[in-house]
Amino acid sequence: MSNPLWTVTKFEFIRQVKKPSFWATILLIPLMVVAMFVISMLTANGVDANPTLSEDTKFAIADDAGILPEGMPIKANITKEEGRQKVVDGELDLFFYIPADFKDTKKVDFYHISEGLELFNMDGQAIKGILNQAVAPKFDELDVMALTGQFEVNDNKLTTTGEEPNALGKAVVPIIFLVLFFFLVTLFGGRMLMTVVEEKENRISEMILTSVSTKHLIVGKILSMMLLGIIQMLTLIVPLIVALIIYKDNPIVSTVLSQMEFDPITIITNLVLFIFSVFFATGCLTYIGTITPTAKDASQFIGPVIIGVVFPLYFMSAFMASEPGGFVYFLTYFPLSAPTAMMLRNVFGTLTTPELIIGLVEIAILSTLVIRATVVSFQRNAINFELALPKFLKKQK
Amino acid sequence: MKNIVEIKNFRMDFGNKTVIKDLSFEVKAGEIFGLLGANGSGKTTTLRALLGFYKPTGGELLIDGKKYDPEDTNVTIGYLPEERGLYKKETVMDNLLYFGQLKGLKDPKEWAEKYLKRVKLEDKANQKLEKLSGGQQQKIQLGVTIMNNPKLLILDEPTKGFDPMNRRLLMEIIEEAHKKGAAIIMITHYMDEVEKLCDRVILLKDGVAHAYGTIAEIKKAHKNKSLEQIFIDIYGGEDE
Repeated sequence: MSNPLWTVTKFEFIRQVKKPSFWATILLIPLMVVAMFVISMLTANGVDANPTLSEDTKFAIADDAGILPEGMPIKANITKEEGRQKVVDGELDLFFYIPADFKDTKKVDFYHISEGLELFNMDGQAIKGILNQAVAPKFDELDVMALTGQFEVNDNKLTTTGEEPNALGKAVVPIIFLVLFFFLVTLFGGRMLMTVVEEKENRISEMILTSVSTKHLIVGKILSMMLLGIIQMLTLIVPLIVALIIYKDNPIVSTVLSQMEFDPITIITNLVLFIFSVFFATGCLTYIGTITPTAKDASQFIGPVIIGVVFPLYFMSAFMASEPGGFVYFLTYFPLSAPTAMMLRNVFGTLTTPELIIGLVEIAILSTLVIRATVVSFQRNAINFELALPKFLKKQK
Repeated sequence: MKNIVEIKNFRMDFGNKTVIKDLSFEVKAGEIFGLLGANGSGKTTTLRALLGFYKPTGGELLIDGKKYDPEDTNVTIGYLPEERGLYKKETVMDNLLYFGQLKGLKDPKEWAEKYLKRVKLEDKANQKLEKLSGGQQQKIQLGVTIMNNPKLLILDEPTKGFDPMNRRLLMEIIEEAHKKGAAIIMITHYMDEVEKLCDRVILLKDGVAHAYGTIAEIKKAHKNKSLEQIFIDIYGGEDE
């Protein structure tokens, strides 16, 4: 006898993949990625090349190449390491270092304190603007051309502890799992509901439940949804990788690639969180399917689940803070928001190992409970063609 | 003869309403058993409780000495429910293959092709189920019910909606299954079908059994009236 779980998974997977609407839905995502890429290219051209610099900005330039004339107050007689340390200690806001081999390399080092998750430095135009604006008006004799000419700026973001953060670079890969999770829940939420409601709506329940156990039927459906999620993941990642390879010489792409960091622990943690979260969210949605008689009735319940999942994004700045506040902790452990909150905190490096363990255990327990509840509810309501709210909700009504 | 179904002191309440008060009966292996009664007398409820869709308020409902488990391969069951449907958006063949795999058929495709030929629907194999007429869909549902050569075949109004020709075909298929050794529980309102097919029957009214035994025994107890007349006498002209 073939494995009933596999039979259900295969059947549910194939019949979804055969639907044109499935492909229309998932192909939207790469199109959106392309659109975002184009928009970022267009907005990159709009980077302010001459940003204003506050009067009290403390900055200095160390010039080992001898480009700047002697006597300039901002020309500091300090080494690169000393300037870097002054930025860390707060004595300087900005520090430029022109290395001795500048004429050959055409590279300037720029040090400043990171203010969080800055966008990638597109081509150094903004920093060149700062340098030009700071120096040119004060010293006529300055060889402005040397500074505003074709040279590269190494943007070195620092923290007050002296580390060189690369928050976005580290976030890119693990945040993909968060994006996928959102797409899965928002785009496949209705499909997840329908897959369970359909049996009731088309009066298949009794035929199917005398052929396969409720547990195998529900878990098979959930697994098929996860397989569809993998297809969606591939349709998102493969074009992205292809685009990065084709456009690897593009300044934006090369900057993005050079700043991307692959921190295996963060990536694996978000992958595990993603798997657990998909089980939990799918469990919640299929449970709703078991208590509602028709797809129309079920669809009104998708909203609250999606809002719960997306809710932490409205408080992104709170998640980016180095010290999470009480509300962030609340969202980290509140069932519906927990998956997103934990993935965000993992991305921003504020999720500690004990918190991760507690969170994973919480999501695992909740997923198991929800899936068990779904199995029981489907068995009980398989031939109930009315809305079957749980007792505690009925009492409130 | 061994009992394949045993129902002991079965009681079923839905809220404050008692549908079955105290029902006990057995179905023997290999027999055709008629579960009869007017609409709302609890026939379908009894079958659904037997198959685990309802949790009984009291009593025991056993198949081959155990509570029903759809993946217990020792007792193969075929169930044609009153509320029946298949995956409308899938093809006839895909429906048959899916159920064939779930029911553990060695070669579901071969079986499906033979069956479709038998019920003259071979040209519909690749059509979506929703494109078939109601009667044609019922034939596919019957196929799903009998495909695993069940030891116990449970049919809830199997001929409802069939034209006389297809009703005859269905009867043939049921008789074939019986010859292969299946016990059959059948709910029907057609007394001619009962007299022709059933070995024993039970008549339910108000949640209890009003008559139970072989057709000959029941007729004898009711002055040899026809089964239809006995039915009318028991239900006193209630709306069916």
